Amino acid sequence: MTTLEKKQPFFGNLWENLFGFDRPDSRGQRIFRRVFEAFIGAGSIWLAWYWGEYTLRISDIVLELGFARYIDISFMHGNQLPIWNAWAITALVILGFLRIDRWVPFGRWAYMIATLLLMLQYAARFVLGEIPHSSNLVGMGLMGFALAELVFRDRTAGGRFAIGFSYFFIGLGYTSAAISKLVARGLTWPDGRHLWMWVNEKAVDEIARSGTVELNFVQQLAVDHWWIATAFLAFGLLTEAFAWLVWFRKPRYIVMWGVMALHMGIWVTMDILFALSVYEILLLGLPWAAFIDRFFPESTGRL
Amino acid sequence: MSGKPHSNKARTTLLSVLLVYALTVAVNLGEFWPFSIYPMFSQAGNDWSRSLVREVPPGDTLSWDAYPLDELPGLPYGVRSGGVDPIDLANFVSKTEVWDEDRIDALSLMLLAEPPREPLRLMVYRVRARLTEEDSVAIMATPYVLVGTDLEVSLDHLNPELRP
Repeated sequence: MTTLEKKQPFFGNLWENLFGFDRPDSRGQRIFRRVFEAFIGAGSIWLAWYWGEYTLRISDIVLELGFARYIDISFMHGNQLPIWNAWAITALVILGFLRIDRWVPFGRWAYMIATLLLMLQYAARFVLGEIPHSSNLVGMGLMGFALAELVFRDRTAGGRFAIGFSYFFIGLGYTSAAISKLVARGLTWPDGRHLWMWVNEKAVDEIARSGTVELNFVQQLAVDHWWIATAFLAFGLLTEAFAWLVWFRKPRYIVMWGVMALHMGIWVTMDILFALSVYEILLLGLPWAAFIDRFFPESTGRL
Repeated sequence: MSGKPHSNKARTTLLSVLLVYALTVAVNLGEFWPFSIYPMFSQAGNDWSRSLVREVPPGDTLSWDAYPLDELPGLPYGVRSGGVDPIDLANFVSKTEVWDEDRIDALSLMLLAEPPREPLRLMVYRVRARLTEEDSVAIMATPYVLVGTDLEVSLDHLNPELRP
């Protein structure tokens, strides 16, 4: 094989870049797949309880989302059903992680049923008008593992599919966010005055949350200098617009860190931390499997 | 083993989900969790509306006038102390079109389900902002409704301009 042939193409085949079914497996990849699956499972359980406990205080519907647009979701209000649902999701995710299909017929459906119940939990919780997006990546991650269980007999292939599935929808989601902005506001979207509005909006949210507010150094800088505020927004828009590059192995980690920087920017300027998304980006934004293979190769024996 | 069969399955599955994704967001205004077109922050520069709450000490007279943020009567109060998400509060207030007793009761339940102390009276404000021609952000807060652990739910505690 010549040096030229060994060189990886920048883009190449999309499906090979996303899933890499032909690539040799390794200890690092096996560990990383299970760690990522555990993160998605734990995130889903946390959401189920966080939403479930909050739903107990809801007695009125302002805006229907998801399943609530098709069924009367009020049956989840005024009783303990959200808690029972959280228990069911918890049990199904744990059983899915433990591969219960070895003992139970239809065990491979555990993650898919958990996904559907989590969608129900979301629909019951978000009826007050808020449309959050911080949990979408974890939701897509759970759906990826659910489909992997149902479609692939081979668990190595299934795990690779689930991770590629997450990369695909991360790239699509952020790019879609950029398109939404350009459709709504065009090329003037990054005007720094728009950031002033958001900084003040989030300041009012903070007053509502804690009673008081004080702008941090970065917020003050953005409010004082239009061009700095404009630069922040322009960086965010460009990062989102090129997020689809995470579909390809070569630019993937650079783009993931661009997305991480975007989230850090949103955190310091608008005080919004998409915590679960940030943790997921941290997991998918570094070559953890290669690190494990480098420092704990198969030849070092069992970990 | 060749990854070709896996690749075919993966491609078919992913494209099927993508199709469902596109159809679902298309008929549900861009949102069907976990599917979304991610429209957050797309409405840049638009006027906005949020909410905040001030504690009303016993004996304070009520006023339904709008105030700048730094001249609000009453005492600072964070809804976090009652376990409430301020975004829920903001949406509840801004998206309510008809303020009847049921709606006030639901707001009262949200804010006072876990009161940090009793008795407690809270004035809920709607805060609106807009960009001015002078490139500054103008913000005003309008009192909407008064709720309290020692108050009956009543339209008498609603801003007169909102009464049905």
